[in-house]
Amino acid sequence: MLRSVKGFICRPLKLDHGYALHMAAKDCFSSVVSQDVQTPAEKPRAIFYTNESDPAQHSEQHEGRHYSIPLEEVKAVFPHGLPYRFQQQIKTFQEACVMVRKPALELFTYLKNSNFAHPVVRYVIYGERGTGKTMTLCHVVHFCARQGWLVLHIPDAHLWVKNCKELMQSSYNKERLDQPLQASFWLRNFRTTNEHFLKEIKTQQKYVWGKRDSTEQGRPLGEVVEQGLTRVKNASDAVGVVLKEIKQQCCLGSFRVLVAVDGVNALWGRTTLKKEDKSPVSPEELTLVYNLRKMVMNNWSGGAVVTTLSQTGSLFKPSSAHLPHELLGKEGFDALDPFVPILVPNYTEREFESCYHYYLHCRWLQHEKARTEDGKEELRFLSGCNPWQLERLSAPL
Amino acid sequence: MFQFEKQAVAENMMSAEIYYQQVVTSSWGSLNTSDEISGIHTVSTRRRGRMSQLIRSHIPPRTERMAVDQDWSSVYPTAAAFKPASVPLPIRMGYPVKGGVPPPKEGNLELIKIPNFLHLTPPAIKKHCAALRDFCTEWPSALDGDEKCEQHFPVEIETVDYVSAGTSIRNPKARIVTLRVKLSNLNLDDHAKKKLIKLVGKRYCKDTDVLTIITDRCPLRRQNYDYGIHLLTVLYHESWKTEAWESEKTEEDMEEYIWENSSSQKNALDTLLQIKATENVSNVTKEELLASEVVRNYRNSVIALKNEGETESNMSQYKESVKKLLNIQALP
Repeated sequence: MLRSVKGFICRPLKLDHGYALHMAAKDCFSSVVSQDVQTPAEKPRAIFYTNESDPAQHSEQHEGRHYSIPLEEVKAVFPHGLPYRFQQQIKTFQEACVMVRKPALELFTYLKNSNFAHPVVRYVIYGERGTGKTMTLCHVVHFCARQGWLVLHIPDAHLWVKNCKELMQSSYNKERLDQPLQASFWLRNFRTTNEHFLKEIKTQQKYVWGKRDSTEQGRPLGEVVEQGLTRVKNASDAVGVVLKEIKQQCCLGSFRVLVAVDGVNALWGRTTLKKEDKSPVSPEELTLVYNLRKMVMNNWSGGAVVTTLSQTGSLFKPSSAHLPHELLGKEGFDALDPFVPILVPNYTEREFESCYHYYLHCRWLQHEKARTEDGKEELRFLSGCNPWQLERLSAPL
Repeated sequence: MFQFEKQAVAENMMSAEIYYQQVVTSSWGSLNTSDEISGIHTVSTRRRGRMSQLIRSHIPPRTERMAVDQDWSSVYPTAAAFKPASVPLPIRMGYPVKGGVPPPKEGNLELIKIPNFLHLTPPAIKKHCAALRDFCTEWPSALDGDEKCEQHFPVEIETVDYVSAGTSIRNPKARIVTLRVKLSNLNLDDHAKKKLIKLVGKRYCKDTDVLTIITDRCPLRRQNYDYGIHLLTVLYHESWKTEAWESEKTEEDMEEYIWENSSSQKNALDTLLQIKATENVSNVTKEELLASEVVRNYRNSVIALKNEGETESNMSQYKESVKKLLNIQALP
């Protein structure tokens, strides 16, 4: 009787939590190996939690632990980057806890030791579905944001090659097509993340937007962004200008740039968009994709390019494809070559324990059997230590 | 006929009739009496007749009297239909009843319909071979291994003869000739081998390196054999020739990945040149870069990745080579 009542009450709570959990789980899996390396002698929370909230200080001792990002920072740094389920988890738990994991730590060492005079190094994060590639990317983005880099975060490149309601012919180049909605959405989020940079960077040439609009040389980049947001028609060109300026100026060394693209295989695949005469659109005919491809090339220096391959959301790719060649195709691989591939595997034993204890601590797992050893083994078996699966499983519990 | 003769005949007939009637009545009478005595007898003999027919079929089948070490080739000396009473195997065949098992072999049409090879067991075939031995010549003693056969006779010809009981001894399937040859036994250089493989298409098996040509377009076996040999000769000579249009071979036509002149090489060299430029190391030529060890390593890993596909080891090797190429240090 009591049990059923408890379950009844818990259920609505769980539904909310489920989302958050999923997101948390995603977070946990991907980059966030929390650095919870607080002294084990403290409360059990210490086993899976760490106080170290600066990703720059994360190291192997923090592997497997969750660290939390203050919510204001989340709003500033990740206006559009986090996976949907993780966002729901943040809402439910009222905290953003990310697990510190080995792939992210590896990337941090590379980024810390990289020589910014050399051409940019491209890193490609790949792995099976739901292992935490997006979360790893978000962890790296947080790290770079804390370090004061300019972050160009494209949350999902697949969104740019499908489901576009408005496709217009580009005024700059007749053969290309503009996507005003996607471009303005991205510009808005970009502005939120990099407010202070937009005032510092100055344009190096004059840009004419139309008969009456133009941006003079030497104006702050923020004006270009404003222009793109107010005149939505020019948004895609504004994005192109922003990328070009940043690329030209970061070689001078005054600031570092991180280009974080999620789902980079969208840039070289196929699109589902059609022109007015029903002929298919290839990716390079889209202004946004064309400019982003230029950004991902390694002919500039002073930063890093971290990308993930994503099968979910990709077009015309089988669901079992997760290796670089399969998802990028020949064209993409040749364009990104040479890159450093980074594999994100499923949870290790330790990471699984950490995630499980985190859920228990947040009272996400309400089922009484979930607290037992048997329950934990069952969860481990059913999810196969896959972060995404674990999150989905624990939601209704 | 005279009157008295007719009368005589009539009398005779009359008497015969009477006699016949008497016989009939007497026989019927006897039947009737037997009926009366045991009136059910006729019925019971008829019923017993049917039942005895049924009982008669319950003689045990031959399988129960078969010894384990019997001579099977005498049970099935020739190709014959499946006889459930002669085959001592508990075979079931057919679609199972719902919740049940496939039907047994007794009266199973499915087993009778299909062809069976009960007459071709290994001991039976041994006997066939023993019988045929008298008609065969000796195997040459010098060819005592597969390698020697292949070395001296690289081209294998396969033909089939058909014997059947019928009105005609001809069989149209007998004209088919199969030619098999290993490409390693042919004198082909790299370009010739690739061209030959492209020319023959599906007839070449990559795993066993065997080219198989099956000809049946001529009505006689001899003609097909000549045609097969002619095809082999033409393929060999054509693959050695280089046509003018072969220079237009593009990257998609290539069978395997070649690193030289590929975009991967270009990218790597560009990157390295840029790195050297930033370090103010000038006068580094492309040849020097190509010959350096990091580039060699990188080249090997990319070729392995493209040709063999992506495996764990390939990817980690690629990662290491890229790290060395771009001078990325892992240790903090």
